[in-house]
Amino acid sequence: MAVEVVMPKLGMSMKEGTVSVWNKEIGETVNKGESIASINSEKIEMEIESPAEGTILDIKVPEGEGVPPGTVICYIGEGNEQVEEKKEKDLPPKQKKERKKISPVARKIAQSANLDIHTLVGTGPDGRITKADVLQALPDEKEKQHNEPTKYQPVSMMRKTIASRMMESLQTSAQLTMTMKADVTKLTALQSQLNETASAQHDMKLTMTDFVAKAVILSLLEHPAMNSQYKNDRVETFEYVHLGIAAALDHGLAVPVIRHAEKLSLIALAKSIKSYGKKAREGRLLHDEIEGSTFTITNLGAYGVEHFTPILNPPEAGILGVGKADHMPVYHGNELCKGTILPLSLTFDHRVLDGTPASQFLSTVKAYLENPVSILL
Amino acid sequence: MMLVIIGGGPAGYVAAITAARFDREVVLIDQGLLGGTCLNEGCIPTKALLQSADMYEHVKSAGHFGIELPGKDPVIHWDAVQKRKRSVVKQLTDGVRYLMNKNKISVLNGKASFLSAHELLIDSEGKSEIIQAKQIIIATGSEPVALPFAPFDREWIIDSKDAMTLPSIPDSLCIIGGGVIGCEFASIFSRMGSKVVMVEQAAHILPEEDHDTANCLHDQLQKAGVEILTSSAVKQLDTTSKKVVVEKEHGERCEIQSDHCLVAIGRKPRLEELNLEQIGIEFDRNGICVNEHMQTNFPHIYACGDVTGGVQLAHAAFHEGTIAASHASGEDVKVNEQVIPRCIYTSPEIASVGLNEENARKQYGEIRIGKFAFSANGKALILNQPAGQVKVIVEPQYQEILGVSIIGPKATELIGQAAVMMHTELTADTLEQFIAAHPTLSEAIHEALLQTNGRAVHC
Repeated sequence: MAVEVVMPKLGMSMKEGTVSVWNKEIGETVNKGESIASINSEKIEMEIESPAEGTILDIKVPEGEGVPPGTVICYIGEGNEQVEEKKEKDLPPKQKKERKKISPVARKIAQSANLDIHTLVGTGPDGRITKADVLQALPDEKEKQHNEPTKYQPVSMMRKTIASRMMESLQTSAQLTMTMKADVTKLTALQSQLNETASAQHDMKLTMTDFVAKAVILSLLEHPAMNSQYKNDRVETFEYVHLGIAAALDHGLAVPVIRHAEKLSLIALAKSIKSYGKKAREGRLLHDEIEGSTFTITNLGAYGVEHFTPILNPPEAGILGVGKADHMPVYHGNELCKGTILPLSLTFDHRVLDGTPASQFLSTVKAYLENPVSILL
Repeated sequence: MMLVIIGGGPAGYVAAITAARFDREVVLIDQGLLGGTCLNEGCIPTKALLQSADMYEHVKSAGHFGIELPGKDPVIHWDAVQKRKRSVVKQLTDGVRYLMNKNKISVLNGKASFLSAHELLIDSEGKSEIIQAKQIIIATGSEPVALPFAPFDREWIIDSKDAMTLPSIPDSLCIIGGGVIGCEFASIFSRMGSKVVMVEQAAHILPEEDHDTANCLHDQLQKAGVEILTSSAVKQLDTTSKKVVVEKEHGERCEIQSDHCLVAIGRKPRLEELNLEQIGIEFDRNGICVNEHMQTNFPHIYACGDVTGGVQLAHAAFHEGTIAASHASGEDVKVNEQVIPRCIYTSPEIASVGLNEENARKQYGEIRIGKFAFSANGKALILNQPAGQVKVIVEPQYQEILGVSIIGPKATELIGQAAVMMHTELTADTLEQFIAAHPTLSEAIHEALLQTNGRAVHC
C-alpha cells in the first residue's frame, strides 16, 4: 500500500502551501527521513522528509503550484505498486473559490491581458463581468505605449500574504500615527560602553533596536492599553509582551515574534532579536515563530528614513517605527551641544485607545531612551 | 409628485407603466390614439398587410406543394385586408388602454407645450389647461420627412401612413427612398400586383445594411417585378401629370408615371409644437439631446424614443422609455443599446444585429466571416424559400461575435438567437459544440458560426 505525503499545515492560518522544489523524481528511491521536497507557505520555507522508505510512485503537485494543506503531493511505495487514489469524499473538503460571473468575451480579453478577474468589478446582472468592465480595467493604449515593455510576474506567497495583511490592516482598524524625537545622546554613549563588555563576554554588539525593544517592553508593562487588541467589540489586554520585530528580506519581510519578551534581560533580548533576524533571512522561521505578537517594532533607520507611518500588524493595537539616529545641535539650557536624536513614529489603533494614552506611552518610551540607565535597572 | 409623459407611443406608454410600478403618480398626454406610430401607422399595420401579401403568395404557390385550388386564381379583397389590419391594431391599442387603466395612469387627450420648466399647457379641442409637473418625459416620436420641393398632398404624394390606407391596391406605385420603409412597401405592393418602381439616391438599397444582404434583397425584389433605380435623384414631382422626374447615374433623365408617389426618405423628430426654445431644452436636427440616463439639459426633463434621434426602432424606444422612467424614479440606470436587433419585413425577411461587414472592418481591421446559404439548409428547401444566407462576423483574437446578418425565411425570428449570443458576449468557439435541432432554419446560424473557422459541415 502506497504512503501518501500531504502538504503539511504549518499554522492555524495557513491556507495554501507551494512546492518550491522537488528533490526527487518519479521512480527514484528514497530513505525514510530523506528530504524529498521544499515547500513554502506565506513566510516559511521548509523541507519535507520522506515518511517511509520506498520509491516515488507519483507526484501530484508540480513545482510552483499552491494547494491547501492536507492535499496529497506525492505517493511513496514499492517500485511496481499501483497508486490507489482516495476518492473525492475521503479528502478534506476543498476550499471553495469564489465563483466570478464573467462573459466569455470578457474572460478571453482578461486572460490575454493577464488581468486577474477576481480584481474586476462586474456591472452586469448579479455582478457579471462584461467586456466593457474588462476594457475599463485595462491600462489605456497610450499608457501602455509609455510603459512598454510591461513585465508581469506572478507574486510569491509571501507577497500575497503581505498584500492581504496590509489591506486587512488598513481596512479594519482606525489607525493613525504620531511622532516624537528622543535625545539618545546618553544612550549612544552607554551603548559603546556596554558593547565593550558585550563583545568580550557574549561575542555580540547591542544595537539601537535592542535598546528600543527593551524600552518598549518596559513601557508596555506600564501602559497595558497599548498592549492589547480590539476584537468583537471587546478590548483584550495582555499581561505578557510577545514582541514582533520586523525584518527585511530580499523579496519581502517577516515579523519573527519574541515570546514573553518581558522576561528577558537586555542581553537575552538582543540575542533573541539577532537569532530570529538570521532565521528570517534564511527562511527558516517556523510558523509558531511568526504568530501571536502583541506589539511590533519596525526599524528603517538603516535606510536613512526619519519619521514614517508604519501600518499596524493586525490584530495588534500598536507598532513603533524607529528612524535614523542623527547628530544634531541640541540646547542644554542655554548651551548648544552636539546631540543624537532618534525619530520615533507610533501608529496605534484609535478603536482601542485615544490620543492621550497613546502619547503617554510614547513619552514613556522616549523617557526610557533618554535616561538609559533606567532601562538597565 | 407628478410625472408627466408627453406621447403615448412605445417610449411613452412603457415609461408610464414603468413609473407607475414605482408608485409614481403618472399623467400621459397624447394627441391621438395610444400606441403611437408603431401600433397605429407603423410596425403593426404594415406587418398585417405583409402577412396578407405573404398569404396571397403562399396560396398562389399551392400547386408547388401538390395542392390544386378549385376554380379560379385567388383574389385579394383589399377592404377585407384592411379590416383585418384594423382589428389587429384595435386589439393592441385596446391592450395599451387596458394597461393604462390597470396601472392607474391618467391619460389626457391633447397637445402639450412647455410654458416653463415645470408647467405644460394642454390644448384639447379648444379647451386649454395648465398642469404642473415635478418631472417630464418627452416621447413625441417622429414623423415622415417630405421632399423639400414637394409637400405631401395625401392624394398623389403620400407618406407611409397614407400608403397603408389607400382606397385600393394601386396599379402602379413609385417609391422614393430605398431604405427600410421603402423596401417593405415595395415588398407589399409588388406582391399584391402593383407595378412598383423604387428610386434610391445611394448606390445600394438599404445603405445601412450589409452589402451582401442588400444585394440579395435587390435581386429578390427585381424577381418580384420591382424596378429599382439606384444612384438616382428625384428632380421633380409633377402632380398634374402624376410623373416623377428622376436623374439617373450618368445624368440621364427619365420619367416615371404612377398612381401614387410614396415618399419614404426618412423620419424626423416631432418637436414643433412643444415650444422647446421657450425654456431652452437643447436639441438639434436629429432630435432632443440626452445623456445616458435619457436626461435633457434639464435634469428633471427626460426624452426618449424617436424624438431623440438615434436608433428609430420601437424596441429601442421600449428600452429608452424604461430607462427614462426608472431613472426619474430614483434608479441608477443607464441606456445600453449595443445590441439592438434590426428587422426588415420584406420577402425574404432581413434581420441583423451588431456591426455590418464594412463597419466591422473599419473598427477591427482584420475580421473573420462565416456564411451559410439557405439553399444548403433542409428546412429552407422544405419551405420552398431557399434564397438568402446567414453571415456571422467574428473578431479573430478573442472570437467575439461582432455582427450577424440574416436574409431569408423567418430571419426576424432567427435573429433573436444572435441577439442572445451577442448580449451575453458569447464567443464563436464557445458555440462550436452547440447543438441545433434538425431540420430547422436555426442550423444555418450554427453552420455560419462554424464557418468562421472554416468548419461548417454542409458547405
